[in-house]
Amino acid sequence: MSDELDSLDPYVQWIASEARRSVAVDPAARRRLLEAVRAEPVPQRHSRVLAWMLEPRRLALPPLATAALAAGLVGIGVISGLLIHRDGRLATEQLPSAGAAGSQLPDSVTPRAVKFVLIAPQAARVSLVGDFNGWDASANPMVTQGVKGMWTVFVPLQPGLHTYTFVVDGTHFVADPTAPIAPDDGYGHKSSVVLVGGSSL
Amino acid sequence: MSVLSLRRVVSPLALCALTAVAGAQDTTARVRELDPLARLSEATRYQVELLFDSARVAKLPTAPLESKALQGIALRADGRRIVAAVRAVFRSLRDARAALGPSVTLDELKSAAGALQVGITTAELRHLAQTRHEKQLTVPLVVLADLVTRGVPRDTASQTIFQLWQRGAADDDFLGLWRGVERDIVSGTAPGVALLNRAREIPSRGPPPATPPSSARPDRSENPNP
Amino acid sequence: MLPDAARSLPAGKAESLGQFGVASCNHVTREPRRWVIANEMSDAADVQRVLSGDVDAFARLVDRYYERCARFAVRMLGNRDDAEDALQATFLRAYRSLGKYQERDKFSAWLYRILVNQCRSLAARRNQRERVFVREEAVLLNAPDRRPNWSGEDEEFVQRVLAELDPLLREAFLLKYVEEMSYEEMSTLTGVGVSALKMRVKRACDRLRARWERIKDE
Repeated sequence: MSDELDSLDPYVQWIASEARRSVAVDPAARRRLLEAVRAEPVPQRHSRVLAWMLEPRRLALPPLATAALAAGLVGIGVISGLLIHRDGRLATEQLPSAGAAGSQLPDSVTPRAVKFVLIAPQAARVSLVGDFNGWDASANPMVTQGVKGMWTVFVPLQPGLHTYTFVVDGTHFVADPTAPIAPDDGYGHKSSVVLVGGSSL
Repeated sequence: MSVLSLRRVVSPLALCALTAVAGAQDTTARVRELDPLARLSEATRYQVELLFDSARVAKLPTAPLESKALQGIALRADGRRIVAAVRAVFRSLRDARAALGPSVTLDELKSAAGALQVGITTAELRHLAQTRHEKQLTVPLVVLADLVTRGVPRDTASQTIFQLWQRGAADDDFLGLWRGVERDIVSGTAPGVALLNRAREIPSRGPPPATPPSSARPDRSENPNP
Repeated sequence: MLPDAARSLPAGKAESLGQFGVASCNHVTREPRRWVIANEMSDAADVQRVLSGDVDAFARLVDRYYERCARFAVRMLGNRDDAEDALQATFLRAYRSLGKYQERDKFSAWLYRILVNQCRSLAARRNQRERVFVREEAVLLNAPDRRPNWSGEDEEFVQRVLAELDPLLREAFLLKYVEEMSYEEMSTLTGVGVSALKMRVKRACDRLRARWERIKDE
């Protein structure tokens, strides 16, 4: 099936050709744009390496998140954020308890540093994978510092629900024994859930 | 610098250096790094993207579907399995949203979808949604899904969580409950029994509902084999 | 002109379109190859100038792309106000992230990626307006004179017809047949695979044709 323009249905071709007509542009809009540009600081050159690292992996925000951001959800959806430290401590900190919803402005896009810990004395290397890093084992490798067999990593996470698991020696997938179990992942492995405190998006 | 931390620093940089050097010639490798779905076969990718499209049309978040696909890729799962898993996520999100209503948050949607995946029914979800208080359902649903996965009979888990929610239990209560039950199961208590025991420890936080819910009675005849 | 001429036409052949097909293609300007290459070189040079502090060079880039981007934005979003907002956001974002633009990418492709995303975000935020549009369409169809006056209101009509398409189908259709991109370019731009894009374009054409069948028979 050729999808070149001239093999299309004539009506569709007509639509396309009409759509190709230029539109009237408001010169005032263009002027406003250039004024806004001049008010900006001059853009800085980025190093190529840095640019590659900063390039976004996905183009579109999930619709719900976009709508939530735009609507500036305040009050609705403020949960009693519980930052669960992976070493077992429950840290309720300064976060509001349930029922205080409505008084809190969401700190919606500031990531929180979450500490993940796995005790694996026999492991040669351990990695953290989850929905926040595309399940990529090279993204958040863990380290033992001082205590042998205690693997840790700090990861900045957006407030909200996240699923994750640990990868031991590149092949074994181990759920976090101290965290709620995520429902079956469809691939025969178990993963874990963490809920990062703050307002939910 | 120890070998471990050196490796941590070197690998991402090595990747960058490789890419910068490869430059214009080796666009395929670069595309693959920036576009992990490229590792799927054409057929699998097509089906997976159709599911993303369906989610968009249904105004459901696509991130959970994308994440499921990426997880499958990382686990080197078979293409058919990946499609099945992504489809399961799509269906559970759709059903969760239908049960909880349009004002549901992303986290509630995810946790509700998870609950559906362990066998909680949409009717039970709707029940929960009917008494919203001012709180989110996320934590109770996460705890519910976890308990069922650990072996608590579905009805017991669902009814108990529902009761606690009705009585105004807070996120702290649910998490404390979960921790206690987990500890008990590890020390050998039957999961359903553990849940019922720990649930009794949670004080009622609000006035009891005017009309008791129809599924009020916890299952006292415990079946230790879920 | 359109309905009667099209009715007697066999599907597909460009030559047999006669007055209808060729005439309406006359106004289409296809840039000759050399002009396109010259454009690419000036784009890269202008980007460098901007990064060295020459803001006027950005004004030149805007001049070069504003109308084309405006056309996409209007066709995509259905009204000029939204399109202007999307354009403003697009060029500002382009300006701010100019440091990240890499010369091996075509500037137009890089700019269009931003434009497509801005249109998507804006559409997501302003869903309400599309629904209103469709209701107006229903009123038009029920009007006593079913044959709209083609000559004066072609653009309005085309805009309405495009607005009926699912946004992703519309986007694929516009990128393919209005911006005249290759599927590979579209894939890089949207992050979607080529097969899925081909399917979207095909569906868009099918829906447009089906719509025409319905009007034709009234």
